[in-house]
Amino acid sequence: MIIEVGHYALVLALATALVVSIVPVIGARRNDAAMMALAPVGSIVMFLLVLFSFSALTWAYVVSDFSLKNVWENSHSMMPAVYKFSGVWGNHEGSMMLWLLILVFFSALVAFFGRNLPDTLRANVLAAQAWITTAFTLFILLTSNPFLRLNPAPAEGQDLNPILQDPGLAVHPPLLYLGYVGFSVCFSFAVAALMEGRIDAAWARWVRPWTLAAWTFLTAGIAMGSYWAYYELGWGGWWFWDPVENASFMPWLAGTALLHSALVMEKREALKIWTVLLAIMTFSLSLLGTFLVRSGVLTSVHAFATDPTRGIFILAILMLFIGGAFALFAWRAPMLKAGGLFAPISREGSLVLNNLILTVATATILIGTLYPLVLETLTGEKISVGAPFFNMTFGLLMIPLLIAVPFGPMLAWKRGDLLGAMQRLYGAAGLALVAGLVLYYIENGGPVMAVFGLVIAFWGMFGALADLWYRANFGKLPVGVAWRRLTGLPRSAFGTALAHFGLGVTVLGIIMVTTYETETVVEMKQGMTVEAGGYSLVFDGMREAVGPNFTEERGHFTISQGGVVVADTWSSKRLYTARRMPTTEAGIVTFGFSQLYVSLGDPIAGGGMVVRIWWKPFILCIWGGSLIMMVGGFVSLSDRRLRVGAPRRKARPARLAMEAAE
Amino acid sequence: MFLWIILAVLTAAVAAVLLATLARSARSSAPDRAGEIAVYRDQLAELERDRDHGLISAAEAEYAKAEIGRRLLAVAGEAEKGADCPTARTGMTATGVAVTLLVPAVGLSLYLLLGSPQLPDQPLEARLENPGNNMALLVAKAERHLAQNPNDGAGWDLLAPIYFKAMRLGDAELAYRNAIRLLGTSPERLAGLGETLIAANDGIVTEDARLAFEESIRLQPNNPRARFYVALGLEQAGRNEEARTAFEAIAADSPTDAPWMDLIRQHIAATGGAPAETAEAPKGPTADDMAAAGEMSEGDRQDMIRGMVDSLAARLQEDPNNLEGWLRLVRSYSVLGDKDKAAEALRTGLRNFPAEGDEGRQLIALAREVGLAVEGVTQ
Repeated sequence: MIIEVGHYALVLALATALVVSIVPVIGARRNDAAMMALAPVGSIVMFLLVLFSFSALTWAYVVSDFSLKNVWENSHSMMPAVYKFSGVWGNHEGSMMLWLLILVFFSALVAFFGRNLPDTLRANVLAAQAWITTAFTLFILLTSNPFLRLNPAPAEGQDLNPILQDPGLAVHPPLLYLGYVGFSVCFSFAVAALMEGRIDAAWARWVRPWTLAAWTFLTAGIAMGSYWAYYELGWGGWWFWDPVENASFMPWLAGTALLHSALVMEKREALKIWTVLLAIMTFSLSLLGTFLVRSGVLTSVHAFATDPTRGIFILAILMLFIGGAFALFAWRAPMLKAGGLFAPISREGSLVLNNLILTVATATILIGTLYPLVLETLTGEKISVGAPFFNMTFGLLMIPLLIAVPFGPMLAWKRGDLLGAMQRLYGAAGLALVAGLVLYYIENGGPVMAVFGLVIAFWGMFGALADLWYRANFGKLPVGVAWRRLTGLPRSAFGTALAHFGLGVTVLGIIMVTTYETETVVEMKQGMTVEAGGYSLVFDGMREAVGPNFTEERGHFTISQGGVVVADTWSSKRLYTARRMPTTEAGIVTFGFSQLYVSLGDPIAGGGMVVRIWWKPFILCIWGGSLIMMVGGFVSLSDRRLRVGAPRRKARPARLAMEAAE
Repeated sequence: MFLWIILAVLTAAVAAVLLATLARSARSSAPDRAGEIAVYRDQLAELERDRDHGLISAAEAEYAKAEIGRRLLAVAGEAEKGADCPTARTGMTATGVAVTLLVPAVGLSLYLLLGSPQLPDQPLEARLENPGNNMALLVAKAERHLAQNPNDGAGWDLLAPIYFKAMRLGDAELAYRNAIRLLGTSPERLAGLGETLIAANDGIVTEDARLAFEESIRLQPNNPRARFYVALGLEQAGRNEEARTAFEAIAADSPTDAPWMDLIRQHIAATGGAPAETAEAPKGPTADDMAAAGEMSEGDRQDMIRGMVDSLAARLQEDPNNLEGWLRLVRSYSVLGDKDKAAEALRTGLRNFPAEGDEGRQLIALAREVGLAVEGVTQ
C-alpha cells in the first residue's frame, strides 16, 4: 500500500504543479496577492509529495519488493544495504525521480528563502519551475514510471549493474543533479525577468547564490564522476571526452560564465541581456545533457535501458523549453534597458573576456559532441571526435583564459590599471616560473610545452594568493594590521581566491599526469618484480574470494622503494553472479599526490596474469583542485552579503518605507 | 478500501492547503519593492566597508555610490507608481473552483490509468516466511540458505535440477559441481551435470560432459540416458561406426516400448552408413529440441541444424576470440559432412589462434580427429 500511495503522491504532485504553473502567472499579471501566494505554498506541497513518493520507492528497494518492476530489474535481495539505497537512482526511472526530487527541492528552497523577492518575481519564478516540474513529472508517469507493478511478483531481482555497485553511485548522481537542476532556478529567474520585462542589479544579486550553489555542486559532481570512472573502469583514465562527460561539462562552462557575468550585472548593471541569455543557455545545456544521456542517443554506462519513446518525449521537452525561452528572449530582451558603461581594461572587461572564452569553449565542445551524432543521423557515417580534437581546440582556448585569471580580481571596476595589476603580479609570475622549472627538473625530461603548462598552473595558484596578499596589503602594512585586514575581507573574496587557486591545482594535476605518467603492461608470474614511478612491485600471486553477490580473483602486490616495503595492495577481477558480469577493481596506492594504479588483465597460460601498471604523478591534484573550487563556492555562499534582506529584514521595513516615501 | 481512504484524505489535504492559501491572503497588495531596496542599501553599506578598509579608492567609491543611489531612486519612484495601481479582485471563486476540481480530477484519472490499487506491498522477507507453493520463492529461500551455508550439499543437490529446468544453466552447473564436491558422485548428479554442460554448449557433447557421462556409466552401467549422450558424442565426432554400435547396444538393453526408442532408432539410421550428404545429425541445444527435430521432415531438420551452425559461425565472426566456439564450429561442419566449410572454419580459427600456440594445437588435434586435411591449412 505504501507503494501505491507513493504512486498516487506523484500523480498529485503533477496536479499541484499544473495549478502552480497557471494560477500564480495570472496572479502576477493582475497583481493578485492570493493567486501569487499559491506559488510558494504549492511549491512546498509539491516537494513534500515528491519526497514521499521518492521515499516510497526507496522503501520498496530496501525491503526488496519485487512486485515493483523497477526494483526487480535493478536490485537483488543479497545486495549490500547501501547499494539498495543508492540503487534507487542507479537506473533510468529512479534517476529521473531523483532529478524531479531535486527540482522540486530547489523550488521549495526558492519558496522558502525567497521571501525578500518582489511578489511578482517570486510568483513567476516558481511558476516557471512548475512548468519544468510538470513536464518531467509527465515524462516520468507516462514513459518512465518506476511504480509499475508485476503480478505475480518474481522471487529474486536481476541485480544492479555491477559497475554501479560502488559508493560512487551514492555521491556522484545526487551531486551532479544538484548542479544540473540547480541551474533551473537561474533559468526560471531569467524567464520570470523576461516575462516582467524588468531586470536590474537586484535581480543579479538574487540569482547569484543559486548560480553559485549549482556551480559548486556541479563542480563536485563532475570531479566525483571523473574519480569514479578512474578507479572503477580499470583503464586508468580520468577524462575521456566522452559525450556523456561533455554533456555535464558544457553546463559547467556556461555556468562558470554565468557566475562571472552575474557579478558584473550585480555591481554595474551591465551585461544584463547577456546574463539572461547565459542563464537560459546554461539550463538548456543541462536539459541537452539529460536528453543525450537519457534518450539512448549515446551508449555508455549512463544510458541504462533505452526506449525510443523516451527520447522523443525528452526531445519534445527540450524543444519546448529551449525554444520557448529563446523565443521569449527574442521578444522581450530588446525591451530591457542597457546598463553601465566600462572601459575595455577593467574588472568588467576581464570578466567579458572570461565569458567570451568560456562561451567559445562551450560551443567547441558542443560541436565536437553533436557533430558525430548529426553526421550519423544524416549520412549513417560513424565518426568519433576524440581527445585530439578537444585538446587542440579546448586546450588552446584555455591558455589565454588561465593566463588572464589572476588579473581579473586585481583590476578595478569601470576602468582598471593593467600596468598596476601587472606590477602586483610580478611576484606571482616569478614564483610560478621558478616552481614550474623546479618541478620540470625534478621530473627531468618531457616536452618543453609542459614547463609552460606548469608555469600557467602555478600562475593561477600564486595569482590567487597574490590577490589576497594585496587586498590585505601585506608588505606595506605591519603584519598584524595586514592580518586583521585579511580576516576582515568579505568571504566572497576568499571564495574567489580559493576557486582560482583550485583551478590552478587542477591544471597542475592535468599537466603532470598527461606529461609524466607511465604505463607498463607486463605478463607477471608469481614473484616477478616490475618497476614503476621509482617503486618496485612484487606480484605475490592470486587468491580466490567470495563477496556477498560476487566471486573474485584477486592478486596481491607488495610495493617497495629502495628495498624497503612501503605499501601493499590487492587488485581484483570480480564476477557478479546474478548478471554474470565481470568487473575490474584496480589496486590503487597513494603516495602524496601521486598514485600507483594496478589493474589485472587476462590470465596467461602457465600461471600468471597480464598486469597493467600506471604511475600517475600528481593525479590527486586534479580532483583536489576541484574540491578546493567547491570549498571556494561554499565559502562564497556563506558570505552574509548573499543573504541580504532575509534575516535582518524584520528590523528594516519601517525604515525602508519611510525612505521610499521620502 | 483502506487505500482509497488514504488517497482521498491525501487529495483533500492538498486541495485544502491550496484553497486555504487562496482564501487567507485574499487581499491585494501593492508591488513590494522592499527587497530590492534592501539589496541596494546593502550594496551601499558594503561600499562603505570597502572604502573604510582601503580596498577601493575614495573616488571609485563615490562613482559607485552615485550609481547605486540612482538605482535606489528608480526603485522608489516605481514603488510609488505601483501603490496607486488598482488590483482586480474578480475571478477568485472561479480559481477556487478550478483548483478544487483540478487536483482530484487529474490525480484520480491518471492514477486509475497507471496505478495498481489492488496489489498490496510485497516485501521479500514477508513473502519468504510464507512461500506457499511458489516455486520461485522456494528457490530464493534455498538460495539464501545456501548463501549462509555454502557447504550444504543436499541443498545444492535439490536446487541443481530445478535450475536446469528453468534453463539457469550457469547456476545449474555450479549447483551440480557443488553437490558432487560435497556429497560425492552419483549417477544422477553426473548425468545432470553432463546434460547441463551440453545444453550450455548448444547441444554439443563437450569433453567435460563426456567424462561426466562415462563416470556415470561406470557407477551405474545400465543408464540409457548417459549411454545415449556418450553415443551422441561419438556421432558428433564423426565416428559413425562406434556411434552406431553404441546406439544399437542401448536399443538392445531397452524394452521395445521405451519412450526413447524412437530417438535411438533415428540415430541408428543416421549413423547407419548412409552417404555423407544425407547424413542426419540431430544436434539441438536441449533434449527437447532434439525430440522436436525428430518430428520434423528430413529437409526441415537439416535446415534447423544448419541454422544453428550458421548462427554460431556468425557469432564467431563478430567475436573471433573464442576457442571453444571454433572447436565447436569445426566439429559441427564435419558432423554435417561439409568438409569444405569445416576446413574453412579451421583456417579462420587458426588465423585467430596460431598453430604454434596451445589453442592452435587443440584445433589441429580436433581436425585430425574428424579427418580434415591439416597439411596446407597451417601455412
